[in-house]
Amino acid sequence: MTAYEELRQQAERVWRAFLHPERPRIDVAVATCSHAAGVHATLAALREQIAARALAVDLGITGCNGFCFLEPLVTVTRPDGSRILYGPVRPDDVPDLLDQALTGVCARLVVGRLAGDDRTVPPLDEHPFMAHQVRRLMANCGVIDPENIDHSIANGGYEGLSKALQLTDEEVIKQTIASGLWGRGGAAFPAGRKWDFLRGARNRPKYMVCNADEGDPGAFVNRVLLESDPHLVIEGMIIAAHATGAEYGYIYIRDEYPLAVERCRKALEQARERGLLGRNILGSGLTYDMEVVRGAGAYVCGEETGLLSSIEDSRGMPRIKPPFPANAGVFGLPTNVNNVETYANAPLIFRHGVDWYRQYGTERNPGTKMFSVTGDIARVGCVEVPLGTKMSAILLDNFGGTPDGRPIKAIQPGGPLGGILPASCLDLALEPEPFREQGVLMGSGGLVVCDDTTCILDLVTYFEWFAEDESCGRCTTCHGGTQRHVEILRRIADGNGRPSDIELMGLLNDALRWSNCFHGQGAPTAVQSLLRHFRDELIAHIRDKYCPAGVCKGLIRYEVAAGHERAVAPAAAICPTAAFREEEGGRYVIDDARCIRCDACRQLQPEAIQVVPARQPRRAPEPVAVG
Amino acid sequence: MPDLRLRNQYQELLREFKPHSGHLLACLHKVQHEFGYVPADAVLAIARQLKLTPAAVFGALTFYTEFRTAPPPAVLIQWCSGPACRLKGGEHIRRALEATLEIGMEESTPDNRVGLHLQQCDGSCAYAPLVWLRRAGAHPDGPDAPLMADRGAIRGPLTVPQAIELARRLKAGDLDV
Repeated sequence: MTAYEELRQQAERVWRAFLHPERPRIDVAVATCSHAAGVHATLAALREQIAARALAVDLGITGCNGFCFLEPLVTVTRPDGSRILYGPVRPDDVPDLLDQALTGVCARLVVGRLAGDDRTVPPLDEHPFMAHQVRRLMANCGVIDPENIDHSIANGGYEGLSKALQLTDEEVIKQTIASGLWGRGGAAFPAGRKWDFLRGARNRPKYMVCNADEGDPGAFVNRVLLESDPHLVIEGMIIAAHATGAEYGYIYIRDEYPLAVERCRKALEQARERGLLGRNILGSGLTYDMEVVRGAGAYVCGEETGLLSSIEDSRGMPRIKPPFPANAGVFGLPTNVNNVETYANAPLIFRHGVDWYRQYGTERNPGTKMFSVTGDIARVGCVEVPLGTKMSAILLDNFGGTPDGRPIKAIQPGGPLGGILPASCLDLALEPEPFREQGVLMGSGGLVVCDDTTCILDLVTYFEWFAEDESCGRCTTCHGGTQRHVEILRRIADGNGRPSDIELMGLLNDALRWSNCFHGQGAPTAVQSLLRHFRDELIAHIRDKYCPAGVCKGLIRYEVAAGHERAVAPAAAICPTAAFREEEGGRYVIDDARCIRCDACRQLQPEAIQVVPARQPRRAPEPVAVG
Repeated sequence: MPDLRLRNQYQELLREFKPHSGHLLACLHKVQHEFGYVPADAVLAIARQLKLTPAAVFGALTFYTEFRTAPPPAVLIQWCSGPACRLKGGEHIRRALEATLEIGMEESTPDNRVGLHLQQCDGSCAYAPLVWLRRAGAHPDGPDAPLMADRGAIRGPLTVPQAIELARRLKAGDLDV
């Protein structure tokens, strides 16, 4: 029996016992999203009530299966092999769950059936959120205990590695190229070719680096993988090490993902214990090990050379390319940098073969891709769909459209440097080329949906501010250009826009393109989207001093609605700047000079406080095309 | 001159870290976890341990937004700056917090009771708009991922009146909100 077969046999014993426990088991999804949803209170309630009732139940954990909108999620496994997913399970729901789910079904909280033949519960695959999904990378997410390597191995973990180790480095690279796998971080460069560069590099040692600095706000697909199935990423890196001759690796995880840091560290320890890292991996002669580096809050470290600088005891300043990392990467030595999801694809290619891998996706873009969707959307979560799936299909079917049925006005893919799409682009296929044609980036998998209450100018201001704030400061084009953009955009929002600003923004965009790294080069994309897709709205702000969405600070005013002047004492009391002035007869007015537009009064008394345009437009504002 | 006891404490804390091995971020994290911030003396100790110049250590320390160079406030309100929060009124919350606490982002009240910190999105967007509350000195241990708890407890979705109420109570010294 090979070393791998031995590992697998042992793992399968553990997994069988997990699926068919002697007494019921409750597995709570512990992930960043469930932490936000208060999973610790649910866990505490479960512990307390299981103890108080002296129930014969075991408690365990799983990762997140992407249904973030239903957290805290709980899986109940019964001895008969039935596994049912419940959510959201709040502390108040624990008594019902314990009463009903251990022997039967707690119908009120059911999400779906994971295993077993209880026909009264629909399979999870029939949930609308599962539409269009092909779960390959996410197959184990929310199903296994991410802190137990046996669960991973029993479900195919490290099988791809054991097969790849029987191939030569050249064959591994050949198959990776044949699979058509490209980098999922945004640049979409073919992974196999990148690995081949490193294989050909002369200097030693060589390094593997995993970019888990998923800094795009609103994107969290890498987090889901690292928290819920870290071994898939680790296995992919070992395969790449075998293909390239790398001896050591780093997973650079952003500081905002502390749970991913912990789970990856645990996973590395366990992999080392099983002989999957270190000397002579699985008896193949391969020597490779790696560690986790925890970032500390710098978006630009997501740029690959910034990330390398950050690993090297330094400020995370991007470098000038060439030399490329394959020649001079971390510590000046040959290095391969890929995104989390890129590495996670490799084990699947070698486990199932290239033909299997290419079953889904398009000829040009084979495989699947994870997407996380946030913003004005009914179900916030994460899905995995074949590349080339229509964007509207997942936004409407999986994510349920906007929460209150308002029209979608814009979609923001690819993070702050990715740009903004109008609603007319809803039907774009989810692959890089159609996005590029619209002047935006598909990016690493984050999509932010904006409904018609969104002011695009405000959103663009945010992205430019972000680019300015996170600029490393090396290039004047970048730190100066983004700063100027923010100044202009804020001036427009304050009601002081000039017609010449449009031309000025175009000039700045041209200058930013000369920045050294992608941070500065990508910074103008959002402004470009504004100029290209939302020009009417921009012109309304500049010419008519009118914000169609009623968001921009200097173009709106808060006032007490007619007839309510005597009934706004609560709103006046909450005002943090005491902007309400009581006039004789108990009538309140809002002193506009003191008002900071924090919206507190309107949220408290929506019937009595209204937002109105700050000034009468010089002429009636022309209708602004929404979308 | 740092006193000897503190110097030994730093040395003990940093013993495991080696020069030229990519350990600088780990050093800074460890010191901050222990002290709540990175004291100036620790910069010297780290420089010595990693054979770097103090300027290089200080340069890195101030490059990353999650490192602090002053003791943290009793309660740090970490305001999420992400786009999902913004679409749902996060900017309103920021204005209200700053006005109520009479401080700006990355500042603390004069008694160092409450501070404001701009936080990046971690994808907890189902609860937007949100803030995290982090209490100084809290190094929770236990079964549920200490690093995670270190990040603080989420409050969201938060309305502006709730944010103002929260800030007013914290400012008045009611830290158990």
